[in-house]
Amino acid sequence: MLGGFLAAIYALPFAVGMMSGNVYYDLQWLNDLVTVMMSGMMQGGVYAMFAVGLTLIFGVMRVINVAHGEFVVLGAYLTYAAFNTPAFLGISAYVDPLVSMVLTLPIAFVIGYTVQKVLLNAVVGGPELTPLLITFGLGISMINIIEWIFSTDYHTIPYYPDSFQITESIALGKNKVISFMMALFITASVFLFLKYHRLGKAIRATSQNAEVAMVCGINIYRVYLITFGLASALACAGGTLVSIQFGFNPETGLTYTVIAFAIIVLGGRGHYVGAFIAALMLGILENLVSFLVPNGTAMVEMASYGTMIFVLLIRPRGLMGPKID
Amino acid sequence: MEAAANGIALDVQDLHKDFGGIKAVNGCHLQVPKGKISGLIGPNGSGKTTTFNLLTGVIPPDSGKVIYNGEDIAGLKSYQVFQKGITRTFQITRIYREMTVFENMLSVAYLKIPMQQARQRADELMEFVTLTRLRDEYGGNLSYGQQKLLEFARALMTDPDMILLDEPAAGVNRTLLASLLERIHELQEQGKTILIVEHDMNVIMNHCEKIFVMDYGVNIAEGLPADIQSNEQVVEAYFGRRKTSHAEA
Amino acid sequence: MESRETTRNLSYLGVLCVVLLIVPDQVNVYYRSFIMFTMMYVVLALSWNIISGYTGYLSFGHVLFYGVGSYASAILVADYGWNWIPTLLVAAAVGIGVAIVLGYPVLRLKGPYFAIATLGAAESFRILATVWDDVTHGGEGISLPNVENSFSTYYAMMILMIVTILVSYWIAHSRFGVRLNAIREDEVAAAANGINTTLYKMIAFVLSAVFCSMAGAIQANKTLYIDPDTEFFILVTITMKLMAMLGGKGTVIGPILGAVVLYSIQEVVWVAVPQAHLIAFGVFLILVARFMPRGIVGFFVDRGWARKGMVH
Repeated sequence: MLGGFLAAIYALPFAVGMMSGNVYYDLQWLNDLVTVMMSGMMQGGVYAMFAVGLTLIFGVMRVINVAHGEFVVLGAYLTYAAFNTPAFLGISAYVDPLVSMVLTLPIAFVIGYTVQKVLLNAVVGGPELTPLLITFGLGISMINIIEWIFSTDYHTIPYYPDSFQITESIALGKNKVISFMMALFITASVFLFLKYHRLGKAIRATSQNAEVAMVCGINIYRVYLITFGLASALACAGGTLVSIQFGFNPETGLTYTVIAFAIIVLGGRGHYVGAFIAALMLGILENLVSFLVPNGTAMVEMASYGTMIFVLLIRPRGLMGPKID
Repeated sequence: MEAAANGIALDVQDLHKDFGGIKAVNGCHLQVPKGKISGLIGPNGSGKTTTFNLLTGVIPPDSGKVIYNGEDIAGLKSYQVFQKGITRTFQITRIYREMTVFENMLSVAYLKIPMQQARQRADELMEFVTLTRLRDEYGGNLSYGQQKLLEFARALMTDPDMILLDEPAAGVNRTLLASLLERIHELQEQGKTILIVEHDMNVIMNHCEKIFVMDYGVNIAEGLPADIQSNEQVVEAYFGRRKTSHAEA
Repeated sequence: MESRETTRNLSYLGVLCVVLLIVPDQVNVYYRSFIMFTMMYVVLALSWNIISGYTGYLSFGHVLFYGVGSYASAILVADYGWNWIPTLLVAAAVGIGVAIVLGYPVLRLKGPYFAIATLGAAESFRILATVWDDVTHGGEGISLPNVENSFSTYYAMMILMIVTILVSYWIAHSRFGVRLNAIREDEVAAAANGINTTLYKMIAFVLSAVFCSMAGAIQANKTLYIDPDTEFFILVTITMKLMAMLGGKGTVIGPILGAVVLYSIQEVVWVAVPQAHLIAFGVFLILVARFMPRGIVGFFVDRGWARKGMVH
């Protein structure tokens, strides 16, 4: 059942590819395919950063953060700002984006913490739709504030543009590999934090049953604040990793939100590991679509959206979520 | 049909529902007598509420038949079951909080009568449950007991032949309960069939003419109140075996 | 729901009609335009209200119906030489068709998932419009032949608005409307009380779509140029939502009030500070959702100045 479900998702781009003549049966093409898939997997690692944060927010507070993609973009722009600060100050040097995370992640954490405190803490537990609307408004505001400051131009941050040569015909961009490593590291750290650290356990307890957690002496409002802050920091990290690989502008945020959603739906709402696996899968799928389908690059967004709808209709629990009746 | 001739309103045959490993209902048989008040009891987790939900189409059964008026209604959606003439109330009231009491009454579908008559009927029913003075109050502002009365009245809007009540006594004070039970008897005198799921033994033993007992998803007994009270299996289901409880003490 | 009240409300509407009929001759093109767009937003806000205010299924992608209608009309007029008035019917049909096809899978989803699904759908249509050049002219958009339309589009929009108001009013006062509200309040209870929720939601969805697509078609013929980014612009959905919520979603007068108030404010603000305009909208949405979830009408009801109940 699960296997069939997965096969169906991946078969589609191949089918379309075959029909439109993008599939060649030779070694060169096969090598390209492998490159594409590995690239996709690494891209998925970065996507995982977007998704795990969103999973946390949903798992703990049952809030759908429509502005999540905007936090990612925020991360990208913060990195960009950090990167260019020395130049701005007249020094001819650049701040390494990964290093700048030491600064940008805490900033994102504080922003997230504040958003939760000012806007959302009051409405958690009320009708589900109020936080939805609030985060939607927040997202729109963020996009436009960033646009106001930075304009709608696309930016990118040059970072190790050369590649590792894996085999004779398969090369992987260095920046992609480094990003992936970083994403793994961060995701694993957060996972360990959630599992072993006192605060992490408090977060998990609250996500399972907030009332009981409260009775056990956990300050759930503080947990909410920290969760949102953490999720924002994760999104920001995702943004940093994106900034060194792809172009970004304020409006790409919406795409990232859709991607993040597709991932948590595919992985199983609230399930941390599921989200990670789903992210990798989605990364691979997107790259396949781009590679095999004509006009693929524009259709990529529809791939994530389509996956989400497909999952919601056929198997709402996703890969690893609890069974939904 | 034979069942109807014998005075059986609802004939439930071998109902099954499996929740991914937990067999909530594992072969339930009920022959609910027509025009009488019957009770469905069992310890926690016995599958009574699930059975109710299966009967009223809130969840679909895995297998089994539910014969009503000569027709198998198993698997029908809840609005279709409603259409057939069976209404229900919920254990935790599900009234519409942001609509007034009056609007709650009028929201019912398949009324098949013009608006004017519908309003009259709503007024009559509100009087029946003594909620008339709260006619224009928001559902959400009612006390729990009043909400139960509202849900009860709402279930009567289409003048159904059969009514399923899910724990009507839960969370309700004695006075209100007494008046609710009075209304239930009045309905039975009008010829309606009533099936109640309950935990409150007093209510069941004193008001039901026939009782069905479930445990672990199957029927373990049925009959008159007196029979049930002295039935060993039933006692065991509720209180556990004498030997075991002594050993643990 | 008493007939006295209905008569009174209808007479208000009548007065409004008369005013709107006289006005276009008296004022210049700018004001004609302004009033026409205000009327358009009334249509959009009321339409959004039908699915989201009554049934509680918040549509975050409603602009797609608007866009689909405008494209249907524009393609027929620009590429096939149709007279623009018959295209309104085609736009309506397209709107209904899309609503049925989209609604079938999407209406099964609960609250936030429905919202995101509609959002994604709107985005997909935007991408489709950009990519499918053969039919939609892609990113360069469609230019319609230059015709003096300002009077005819005004009247068309006025008629559409009156129809939308009447339909909304009918829904609010009918059993259909009460049942839509029941679906919002508690879908399980609604179904247990005989309401065929799937059918009712679909009807509401279709109704909410058809007026939007016609509005889009009229708009295309007024501005004489459309492209994927303006027609499927997310701002339009936000504006619809904001207007309906500001006025009070789930009522009739609410969206009307919200549309008029908001559009007027917007015109003023936009002229003054173009960039901030979208930021202001976002912030405004946050504030309304947080502090005034029942809108202006809700505010009055809570103060006891208007009577309780869902219908106004």
